[in-house]
Amino acid sequence: MAARKTMGWFASGEPWIWLNAAAVGISISAVIGLLLLIGIQGLSHFWPADVEEVKLQGPTDATTLLGEWVGSESIPAQQSREANPSVELPGEELTVSRRLLKTGNRREAPPDFRWINAHDIVSTHTPVDAIAIERMEWGNLYGRLISVTIDQGEPVTGDAAVAALIAGIERVGELRDSVSELEHGAIQAVNKGLERIRLERRAHALAGTTDPQDEARLQRLETELQAQYIDAESELRAAQASLRRDSAQIRLSDGRSVDLNLADAVRAWFPNQMTLFGKLGHYASSLLIFLTEAPREANTEGGIFPAIFGTVMMVLLMSVLVTPFGVVAAVYLREYARQGAFVRLIRIAVNNLAGVPSIVYGVFGLGFFVYFVGGSIDQLFFPEALPAPTFGTPGLLWASLTLALLTVPVVIVSTEEGLTRIPRAVREGSLALGATKAETLFRIVLPMASPSILTGMILAIARAAGEVAPLMLVGVVKLAPALPLDGEFPFVHLDRKFMHLGFHIYDVGFQSPNVEAARPLVYATSLLLVTIILGLNLTAIMLRGRLEARYRSLEG
Amino acid sequence: MAKHAIGRLRMRRRVINTLTTRLVGLGGGAVIAAIALIFFYLLWVVAPLFQSATVDATTQMTAGSEPPLLLDVDDNSEIGLEIGANGVARFFALSDGRDIDTFELTKESITQVVRAHGGNNRYVLRTQSGLLFIDTRYAVSFDGDERSVAPKIEFPFGDTPLDVGDLGSFEVYRTDESVSIAGLRTNHELVLIQFDDAPAGLPLEFGTTNEVPLENTFDRVVFGPRGDWLYLIDRSGTIEVFDIGVQRAPRPVFRGQLVPERAKMLAVEPMIGRYSLLVADDRDRVTQWFLVRDEFGYRMAPARFFEFDAKPRLLIAEPRRKGFAVVDDQNRVHLAYTTSNRVTATVSLGETITENAVLSPRADRLLVSGDGQLAVFDIHNEHPDVSATALWSKVWYEGYVEPVWSWQSSASDNAFEPKFSLTPLAFGTLKAAFYAMLVAMPLAIMGAIYTAYFMAPTMRRWVKPGIEIMAALPTVILGFLAGLWLAPLLEANLVGILFAVLILPPSILLFARLWQLLPVGITKACSGWYGAIIVPVMIAVLVFGMEVGPRIEIALFSGNAKAWLLSELGLEYDQRNALVVGIAMGLAVIPTIFSIAEDAIYGVPRHLINGSLALGATWWQTLARVVLLTASPGIFSAVMIGMGRAVGETMIVLMATGNTAVMDMNMFQGMRTFSANLAVELPESEVGGTHYRVLFLAALVLFLITFAFNTVAELVRQRLRARYGSL
Repeated sequence: MAARKTMGWFASGEPWIWLNAAAVGISISAVIGLLLLIGIQGLSHFWPADVEEVKLQGPTDATTLLGEWVGSESIPAQQSREANPSVELPGEELTVSRRLLKTGNRREAPPDFRWINAHDIVSTHTPVDAIAIERMEWGNLYGRLISVTIDQGEPVTGDAAVAALIAGIERVGELRDSVSELEHGAIQAVNKGLERIRLERRAHALAGTTDPQDEARLQRLETELQAQYIDAESELRAAQASLRRDSAQIRLSDGRSVDLNLADAVRAWFPNQMTLFGKLGHYASSLLIFLTEAPREANTEGGIFPAIFGTVMMVLLMSVLVTPFGVVAAVYLREYARQGAFVRLIRIAVNNLAGVPSIVYGVFGLGFFVYFVGGSIDQLFFPEALPAPTFGTPGLLWASLTLALLTVPVVIVSTEEGLTRIPRAVREGSLALGATKAETLFRIVLPMASPSILTGMILAIARAAGEVAPLMLVGVVKLAPALPLDGEFPFVHLDRKFMHLGFHIYDVGFQSPNVEAARPLVYATSLLLVTIILGLNLTAIMLRGRLEARYRSLEG
Repeated sequence: MAKHAIGRLRMRRRVINTLTTRLVGLGGGAVIAAIALIFFYLLWVVAPLFQSATVDATTQMTAGSEPPLLLDVDDNSEIGLEIGANGVARFFALSDGRDIDTFELTKESITQVVRAHGGNNRYVLRTQSGLLFIDTRYAVSFDGDERSVAPKIEFPFGDTPLDVGDLGSFEVYRTDESVSIAGLRTNHELVLIQFDDAPAGLPLEFGTTNEVPLENTFDRVVFGPRGDWLYLIDRSGTIEVFDIGVQRAPRPVFRGQLVPERAKMLAVEPMIGRYSLLVADDRDRVTQWFLVRDEFGYRMAPARFFEFDAKPRLLIAEPRRKGFAVVDDQNRVHLAYTTSNRVTATVSLGETITENAVLSPRADRLLVSGDGQLAVFDIHNEHPDVSATALWSKVWYEGYVEPVWSWQSSASDNAFEPKFSLTPLAFGTLKAAFYAMLVAMPLAIMGAIYTAYFMAPTMRRWVKPGIEIMAALPTVILGFLAGLWLAPLLEANLVGILFAVLILPPSILLFARLWQLLPVGITKACSGWYGAIIVPVMIAVLVFGMEVGPRIEIALFSGNAKAWLLSELGLEYDQRNALVVGIAMGLAVIPTIFSIAEDAIYGVPRHLINGSLALGATWWQTLARVVLLTASPGIFSAVMIGMGRAVGETMIVLMATGNTAVMDMNMFQGMRTFSANLAVELPESEVGGTHYRVLFLAALVLFLITFAFNTVAELVRQRLRARYGSL
């Protein structure tokens, strides 16, 4: 009886419906889960966690560590025994739980991340006087402040030391800015000037027109630049010396005291003394640094500003290139072409453009744009710089062109959708009033379709912003020496290599020597990229929704 | 006047109209042009791989000595060198044969000149009183943009010959610090001499001399790889291989025959790296032999044959590649390449019988001598190392026990044999796509069925864009999460997660059965919301699986599932493996398949469904017999497009596998795919080189695979659209 009921239940299809429902459930939970994971991990990175003092009792000795908890896991006890037989494990427990402590001090007491067996921990507490210092190199320093020495004077201790430290770091920050201004301003200008003179000479030599008057002018210019260089360099030396004036003495958790030159410090804070608002303030300033500053330490610290900037530049240039092409193709398909074999062929081509793997575009871009087109441009217009390539090397222009080709289908499909929705009556009305086909197109059809063109552009931008594989071949680098846009003629440097958020994720996550230290930054970068791309997509969806509403009213 | 203006306006409007029509038409064609350009450009880069070689006679001149004992060409293929029996070295321009410089090396007459192996440009001359070492150097100077090269001769060990006693055949091998000479005494004794490579001009200090009596007589001595091995060969083709690596105390490791019985050996020549010997016999064959080590020890293995239609007379190995030239007894030259087993050209060398020949280091020129004449041939032979067999079939590479499929493109030195087999990459690509489809297909298609057919409209409005937005998620983020989050998680909780996956379907069925016990009112009200109701159940199952995972691992796999996999099933476990790729890439492919399949199912005309229901079929029967059948072309096209995406995806496989080119379906091991391989290797390959072109070939293959998938999918979709329209 019960068996027959179950059989009947199976025959009704109900179980299959549940299984199908589960498939949707899995897909949706995967999307939400991934977004949550990135969101939580990405946002928690900037929070100034408490610094805890952890006392450990190992098999032989006792140690004290100072650091931030960053993770925990539990593994089968057997695997822990096999991996590390010297560690005694208590009793019959099946699993061992371990916690990951970020101890910093990579230079003084490596490693900077340690797995600690939970049962080794004797005690933990949060000492109020613990200080965390973010450094230019070697990551964070954790310890206790003993004293601060200003200009080789008497060391200052106590509360005065804290004030002196904060003031010293602020001073160093300003000096550092002026040093970098010198380096990137005056000195770089001199170097660029010298390079221009060299190229001008070579261009003359290649053309066979060496004019003594010209040569004299160049020589004058050269001496002038060299004098400028000497001035700038002495100024730079002075600033650099002044930068290294002060130092702080810090006691580490193992009792050693180390001397930290303030020139190496970026920020210092007492996390355990911070109020919630203090922490929020610190959080905001960390976030600001992340968004506006250049990376340090092989991209594992500092900000990602050049990557944001490079991504935006590339994407803008690409959208300028792709939109006309995509719109014209869509107009042809919808408005001009007679539906038939040729249109079907074009549709197959569009689908293939959308379906060809992005890496193939990268290969094509490298071979055709960079080496073939770029190489030819160099031969024709920049012979004096050869053999150093100007356009015959991966760069911004080629990356944008490659991605423009890749995103053409997105624009075509979206524009076509918009064109389809425009009621026939509107066009016929225009033609009936005596407008030519072109006039109907420019005055009636395209303006009406413009929101869907915009939608297509946004979707293309979203696609391009997330694409990495082709860029690895045609212009992205892990660290670009200069932004592709600056105050120097011709302002937009299409030949420069650039940084990109997506590639940054790949590079920092997989190519950096210290993955553990880099991981939070990769999550934060991922979060930013996901936010941008999902934001763009949602904008496109909303635009499309409003458009639908408008056409519905038009038809009604 | 006004009429004129109107006429002009009308003219302008007409012109604009025509121009717009032209431009728009151009835009439509440009789409096809773009895809065609990609295809033909890739093809254009790949094409030279399969071209055959050309050999053209250029200059002829009279030889400076009769006969030249040694011919050579400099690194830039500009200057030729001949050393004659009269002790004179003559440098000459290959382009027109004019003399550049001559040097008298010794007053004595010379009987033999040997090119030292190892370092470039060192030669050893045999005179009456001993061996004389010379080095050639090409000093390049610039006068403005005018480049001139001045050849020089140096005597690294002084200009008096070294007395090494009585020697028959001998060879010289040079390493960074030392020079070794191996020779045969006429009384069948092997002599090994080793000394420091002193800087030029310093008197030579003899190091060790070792005289080893031999049981058999030999005619030829050839150094093996790194100077650690010695091949002794006699006229009948018997070879004995000695290991001389240890303290220069020779130890025989193999003895065998290089030619078939009753065949005569005509020539033997070592190839670059000295792993291989080329042996020509009177059956019109050249055989490549090399030393391999299997469980029985070392042996010489005949890796491949080259058949010709005449007796090979002279063998000339390329100095920097695994290619060689054969001059046969009809005075023709054949250019051949070992790895690809290809003969790329066969050309007559003219009337004068060739006595001596040499290939330039770049293998772009052939210098031959005969009957007091020298002749230069230009060779264009860029990519002999690739053939269809070398790319797709198993190839017997130097030093391997048997033919294998292997991708190993990077070379540390010239002696390395690049392994360009696309098969492991194709295998990796298909393996990754297979596991991704294994994850994506059921989830996406079943999800599409539920969403399109059963789901409450309110929920559908959120779910469809929700899943589709996953398509916008950059794959670099999926790859990063797969490599740095999922892979370690899976490794730590392997048993728990697999267990959860295993019990998931029965748990869902159990839950569904229990659901039936609820009052009908509730089940009716929730009937379109199963997709949301089931989520907490699945999360509970996953948590339960992760909790009991370690217990199962201890109970069944003695506490270490990975060790158990290796010892019991022989499966290696990589942290970044096919399973991780399958899950991550599956997630990337789900939205593509889901979206198209959902559209196809949703688009099934309503009256078909209503008709079926009216005839008394249940919803499920209608779905299985009517809806899915009607929508199946759409679902098929969705799967095709999903496949295309999985095959070409780069970042996920790059980041979530170890990228080793293994050929193993084991889901706990990684793979190397076409796309990841391109991303890693293309930026570093030399433009126009074989590696570069082979990588373009890989891109072309990828293009063609996805082109096929996408075209089929689009054709199916176009037909489906027409059918829905007609229904």
